[in-house]
Amino acid sequence: MATDGGPVPPKPHRVLLDRVSGYADEAAAYMRRRRVSRRPFARLYFAEGRASDHAADSVAGGELFVAAGRLIEVAGKRPKQ
Amino acid sequence: MADDQTSGVEMTPAGETAEVALAYLTEMSPDLRGGAILDSGGAVLAASDQPERWREDAAALFAVAERADEEQVEQVHVATEQGEVFALRHAGLAAIAVTERFALASLLFFDMRSVLRDLAGGGDGRGAGAA
Repeated sequence: MATDGGPVPPKPHRVLLDRVSGYADEAAAYMRRRRVSRRPFARLYFAEGRASDHAADSVAGGELFVAAGRLIEVAGKRPKQ
Repeated sequence: MADDQTSGVEMTPAGETAEVALAYLTEMSPDLRGGAILDSGGAVLAASDQPERWREDAAALFAVAERADEEQVEQVHVATEQGEVFALRHAGLAAIAVTERFALASLLFFDMRSVLRDLAGGGDGRGAGAA
């Protein structure tokens, strides 16, 4: 194909692939940041819309984590699909 | 287990109906590892397994939550490194769900709430959307 010496434009499907993989990279980076930055928490919600956070090193927070841990133990691991 | 969110007649669903509801909740939530549905007295109507353990541990979680804030707790969300626990009281029933980490909390609470609302209204938890 003659290009008159100018740069060869990328094939359309290459442009599309680059764009899709760019979005995928962004999403993967977002999920990675979320995993790293998200710490364990215990949060309670009340009927009138109020919510309260309880730190793991507080008495209530510690108890909530213990109670939740027991439930996680009962549920077990997720069966492989 | 008090709940003033709904009005009108509430029914205690049969275990079989609650099993259908729990299966539906599991189907809707790919992150779900296990769960249980309990009645107003804390008795297990349906559980993924070991109903007695679910009854005891769910009661313990709600008791701790009540003590933490001296107020009627409606929802509990505890996220740990090993998984996440969601507990919801609605329409005189309670649902507990244990999921993988990073489950979408608002979506799961919405699904749990709609399942409990439908169960309390005499449905099988699947609402009008189920064919």
